[in-house]
Amino acid sequence: MPRIKIEDLDKISKKVKRTVILREGAGRAKITVHMGTCGISAGAREIMSTLLAEIEKKNIKDIILTTSGCAGLCSKEPMATVELKGEAPVKYIELTPGKIKEIFKEHVLGGKIVKDYALAKGSERVF
Amino acid sequence: MRNAGYSMEKIKKQRENIMNHESDIMNQKKVGAAMVVGGGIGGMQAALDLAESGIKVYLVETKPCIGGVMSQLDKTFPTNDCAMCTMAPRLVEIGRHKDIEIITLADVEDIEGQPGNFTVTLKKRPRYVDEEKCTGCALCVNNCPVRNIIYTEPEKEELKLSDEDLQRVRVIINNYKNKKGTLVPVLQDISSQYRYLPAEVLRYVADELGYPLSQVYRLATFYNAFSLEPRGKYLISICLGTACHVKGGPSIVEALGRELGIKPGETTEDMNFTLETVRCIGCCGLSPVMKINEDLYGKVTQKKVPGIINEYRTKT
Amino acid sequence: MNNQNIQPINEQTGKHYRMHLMLCAGTGCVSNKSFKIKEVLEKELKKQNLQDEVLVVMTGCNGFCALGPVMVVKPDGFFYQQLQEDDIPHLVEEHFLKGRPVKKLMYTPPEEKEPIPKMMEIGFFARQRLIALKNRGLIDPENIDEYIARDGYKALAKVLTKMAPLEVIEEVKKSGLRGRGGAGFPTGLKWELCRKAKPKSKKQNTKYIICNADEGDPGAFMDRSIIESDPHGVLEGMIIGAYAIGANNGYIYIRAEYPLAMERLELAIKQAEDYGLLGENIFDTGFNFDIKIQKGAGAFVCGEETSLMASIEGRPPEPRQRPPFPAQSGLWGMPTNINNVETWATVPSIINRGAEWFASIGTEKSKGTKVFSLVGKINNTGLVEVPMGTTLREIIYDIGGGIPDGKEFKAVQTGGPSGGCIPKEMLDLPIDYERLAEVGSIMGSGGMIVLDEDSCMVDIAKYFLQFTNDESCGKCNSCREGSEALLEILDKISNGKGEEGDIEFLEELGQAIKDASLCGLGQTLPNPVLSTLRHFRDEYEQHIKHKKCPAGVCKALVQYFVDEEKCTGCMLCAKNCPQDAITGKRKEPHTIDQDKCIKCNMCYEVCKFNAIQRK
Repeated sequence: MPRIKIEDLDKISKKVKRTVILREGAGRAKITVHMGTCGISAGAREIMSTLLAEIEKKNIKDIILTTSGCAGLCSKEPMATVELKGEAPVKYIELTPGKIKEIFKEHVLGGKIVKDYALAKGSERVF
Repeated sequence: MRNAGYSMEKIKKQRENIMNHESDIMNQKKVGAAMVVGGGIGGMQAALDLAESGIKVYLVETKPCIGGVMSQLDKTFPTNDCAMCTMAPRLVEIGRHKDIEIITLADVEDIEGQPGNFTVTLKKRPRYVDEEKCTGCALCVNNCPVRNIIYTEPEKEELKLSDEDLQRVRVIINNYKNKKGTLVPVLQDISSQYRYLPAEVLRYVADELGYPLSQVYRLATFYNAFSLEPRGKYLISICLGTACHVKGGPSIVEALGRELGIKPGETTEDMNFTLETVRCIGCCGLSPVMKINEDLYGKVTQKKVPGIINEYRTKT
Repeated sequence: MNNQNIQPINEQTGKHYRMHLMLCAGTGCVSNKSFKIKEVLEKELKKQNLQDEVLVVMTGCNGFCALGPVMVVKPDGFFYQQLQEDDIPHLVEEHFLKGRPVKKLMYTPPEEKEPIPKMMEIGFFARQRLIALKNRGLIDPENIDEYIARDGYKALAKVLTKMAPLEVIEEVKKSGLRGRGGAGFPTGLKWELCRKAKPKSKKQNTKYIICNADEGDPGAFMDRSIIESDPHGVLEGMIIGAYAIGANNGYIYIRAEYPLAMERLELAIKQAEDYGLLGENIFDTGFNFDIKIQKGAGAFVCGEETSLMASIEGRPPEPRQRPPFPAQSGLWGMPTNINNVETWATVPSIINRGAEWFASIGTEKSKGTKVFSLVGKINNTGLVEVPMGTTLREIIYDIGGGIPDGKEFKAVQTGGPSGGCIPKEMLDLPIDYERLAEVGSIMGSGGMIVLDEDSCMVDIAKYFLQFTNDESCGKCNSCREGSEALLEILDKISNGKGEEGDIEFLEELGQAIKDASLCGLGQTLPNPVLSTLRHFRDEYEQHIKHKKCPAGVCKALVQYFVDEEKCTGCMLCAKNCPQDAITGKRKEPHTIDQDKCIKCNMCYEVCKFNAIQRK
């Protein structure tokens, strides 16, 4: 292993932060893939791996990717919710790897909601 | 580490006796003289203090001269003062104080009477030198033909170490040769290999590293991690840290004692289990805790003890 | 050198995972088989094909040891506790694959019905403020890169390039940091003394830095935990200190009882050396510093600085007279600076965030935070870090969750064998160095042992005296024989043979030992007796005058009875009694044969109906 210089501290930090930032719970955007039994059978696993690959490819570190249970709208699975910091969450339905790539590029990175695939803006009220 | 040969009861009783006698003493006629037994630094100071307050003092010493152990010391606890510098002025003062009479080479044979009025019988051994005439010029000392007794080292006992042991210990010692402060790490390594410190090995270590055997033993007996006795196959350490104490650690010790028939510090006859207590292994969240070799058991109860021990019994 | 040349320490570094499972690998959780859990987790993740999406990280101690093994799921912060191997397949499928957190594995506070899913919503975690423990549970302690990612070694870089040694000392002085080992001596001042000390001679001009990790206080384990969860924090603090003082050699003196901590330290030193953060010419600034580990061998007195140095030198570890202070003549006669683990671990944060920030936390004379190990009769045993000045009530009730089994709080013992007991009337006492001293206790290394109505104060005093009596090195008469005498009287009292006048004698003798002993061990050993006498005198009197132990602990003074109304005749006690002293038929109240009873407390422990009484 090589000796490091002061500048290298930042480099290592940046590199590892991609992994570690997740633990701090602070992210620019949060994508939730709904993974109930219905979601999985409809292909949610594929959506998840596509997203992971996209994040890896673009070298992004401040996006939180998480799963949740069935969203209740089983007929429209696979579904995902995209939530940008400070904005209302948007639910997307009937996803395919192609669609999610587009959503990732337009909405998550670009900030523009992809209306064609979106179900609704906002989330259910709890209680 | 320590030596406690003393009892509170005794002290209290003595205290009472003195109190009772005090009133009697006050009424009696007192003799204006005192005897100090022992001419060490304590006796010397006592003699001086008494003489200064106007009492005639007989300072009795069994050796040929006064001064005691302190005259052999370099520095003294706790101030690290030079011993001779503390003592020399007192020696001189005692020698020339008109109210102090030094009686050397003497033993106390008998004491009669009671506080305030004692009669003491001394037995004085001969000096073979006329004390009145001797000036202490040391001429005779220098000319005595049997002055220099040559000290010969006692023959060393042969080391009874097998080749295998020798090999093992040499490897350990070589790791630390020519480094500073190596004794403790060497002992630690030996302890982890042998599970105790065999006497023969210690002697070898002392020779090889050039430490006096006494210092090796000093350290080997000071630290709790070392044992001079062979330990069993399974070392059971029960934590008696504060958290474990309040949560029932002592009753676990007793339960283990009942189960194995041994006390802390002992080993079962079949050499399978050794019972030891330690002060805190830092797992207070799981108290009471016990450790068998490297396996840790948390939240132990008396009820669980037989089961845990049986697990190891079946292993052996 | 460019980015590509830096090889990450382990292969996962830099890869993106959607979920991190922070599984605790502190000593407590390891003993509850957390490594086995890891194995099963990884197997199950593979089964569900999640191994590229979910990462299992073994972190240092989380602090919540009572619930081990514990796991935090990031980024959401779900907190799982008391994991068993059998739970894992279900957990992996439900939560990690389908995203449905598993309620039955979450933490439910005592007296509440609903579990709390998230870590930060649990009172134990939410009310803490972490400085020394800032990285606990967040990084893999065996990976230096993760430490660097959390601003690690940044303070060192700042110090070496932008600050003169005296500026560093000034900064630490301004922060008001005081030694966390117990005495509370201002750290900056200590450093300054050592910086200004003249070297022994021109040839022998080395200075030494020592990290005291010989955590001997029974009931305190913060040093172990800090080293296990964040070893690089300690190393960075030491390197900064070495630069400020002008030392080139360092030692870490660590207890033999902490094998895991030692292993992590060795690894951390190796990694730091590989990165050139230890050794020669650090960051190309010409500054050299190396660290060696010295393993202790189990002697409490080695925590005292002069005796610690004697132990490193291979001499019998007995304390010596000060002056000369270690800052003038310490290890091998060279100027030496000794600080405790927690102190070193706090230094990097002070440099990074500034003295003003640190000084804004805490009370007037005690700045910053302090780590306490909250143990004994309390619901949430574990390690807590709170700002100085937090009250005992907040620590015990809000963080600690109160006393288990509905028992009543009686006292809290702080400061280990040198400290004292604080009664319940003083629950609102804000904790700092001065306040604790006022009530007859000390801060010590931060052990906090909670006692409930079942704890006997005479027994506690006796316990600590036994400890100090064992550990007294025997150099000073007052300590060696004094502890023996105190113990003898306490033993007498707890055996029902106490007499009128014993209490006064304890006080007189205690004061004499305080005045006449050389080192801290002797000077403070009467504290447990004196402070319990001060606050619980009536309990001593009960033992002496009425021959009763109100808490039912002192065996000679209690007898075991069966409460006939409560006994259901379940036979459990009779079955477990090692002496066969309990007789009775099924479904009828049992009786205890007092002649056979050895008072082992077994029946009391096993009875499910509280039918065994101690009187």
